[in-house]
Amino acid sequence: MARQGLNKTLNYPRALDREILIESYGVTVRLEASDPDLFSETEQTARKALVGRVKILESAEPEHVFGVSSDETGTLFLFHNGEQISFDTSRKRFFKFFNSMLRIAVAEYARECVFIHAGVVGWKDKAIIIPANSFAGKTTLVSELVRNGATYYSDEYAVLDENGLVHPFPRDLSIRDEGFKEREAPVTEFGGITGTEPIPVGAVIITEFVEGGEWDPVSLTVGQGIMEVIPHTIPRNFNTQFSLKVLNTAVSDAIILKSPRGEASAFAIKLLSFY
Amino acid sequence: MNNSQCPVARKSGLVVQEVPDEVLVYDLETNKAHCLNQSAAMIWKSCDGNTSVSEIAKLVESQAGGKVTEDFVWLAIDQLSENNLLEKQIRPSFEGTSRREVIKKIGLASMIAIPVIASLVAPQSALAAASCACNNPSSCGNAPNAGCPNTTNCNINGLCAP
Repeated sequence: MARQGLNKTLNYPRALDREILIESYGVTVRLEASDPDLFSETEQTARKALVGRVKILESAEPEHVFGVSSDETGTLFLFHNGEQISFDTSRKRFFKFFNSMLRIAVAEYARECVFIHAGVVGWKDKAIIIPANSFAGKTTLVSELVRNGATYYSDEYAVLDENGLVHPFPRDLSIRDEGFKEREAPVTEFGGITGTEPIPVGAVIITEFVEGGEWDPVSLTVGQGIMEVIPHTIPRNFNTQFSLKVLNTAVSDAIILKSPRGEASAFAIKLLSFY
Repeated sequence: MNNSQCPVARKSGLVVQEVPDEVLVYDLETNKAHCLNQSAAMIWKSCDGNTSVSEIAKLVESQAGGKVTEDFVWLAIDQLSENNLLEKQIRPSFEGTSRREVIKKIGLASMIAIPVIASLVAPQSALAAASCACNNPSSCGNAPNAGCPNTTNCNINGLCAP
């Protein structure tokens, strides 16, 4: 079945005749699906991916279109702006992938805020930001900080507004075991609470786990600190000027430290006692 | 040595952000980010096409309050040129001498910070940063011999995606 969308003819296995238009962080997205069941799960996944910050729109020109379809074998297909970007027979894995792609699309094109791939906690009314890629131990460290009394803001994104304040993006923590299998854990599992208010940045910690690593930080200048954060800044190519301006505003009064670290449990205590 | 050369700072394709005592420059054409320390930034800003290297040295000296030699300026020009932050590449006047030797020579005499430019290449897109290349699903996720531990799907673009 063919369908017009974004000036392209899209060929889906089954027609996408259910749709919803949403806006999140200033980004408009149309979600489409080929049956009510898929549509329902697509919408639920979108709300979860964007931590509930989703506004339904009546009409708007979407910047992104995600389409979910299936064929007679039950294989699921994901389309983004007219291109097939994934297919899967595992529904769980498929929607997990969609969750990630939607988050990245919104993070990359968000207006009025800058998404940094980072763990974030609140401590004494200020944010500690830990920029890092996946598998650098970010979530483990965040969970340990929360266990020791820090307020949970996110294990995925630091969302900075134009005044440099950090907003919560409190999705369930994505815990990985040694086999890299993921499960989602609410912050309450760590005895923690979620932040609700935007807070200024108190510290930026550039670190990664090293077996036997010792925390022996060097203090970075603002420029050096921003250089460390740039690779983790999601909209750096789409909205470069704004991203750099916000980073400067956010970190210019913060302590910026860099060092490898050892086990998260011990390091979390050390870090929180530092302030 | 041609200290009468008038270098020109590149402007197109760059996003510039002043931060305390440094200047950040993001090159949109190469996805490279540069951090110029105060000395390098002062010299870059003086590269207006009308000011010679000798004159830049005097300008920086008057602004920074310390003795600035032409080698000092050439050290910055060399780095600016190497990082494509000048309109035209310029060969340094100390060609044939290693940068380390020049720094040593300047360092002993200089009262102000040696010009330094730190650079990095940022990944092209957020998706590229979160994924790695594959040619079949066994490269990804929980499959045996997975090359991309952080993902489970090898999509049609040849990327293991989260």
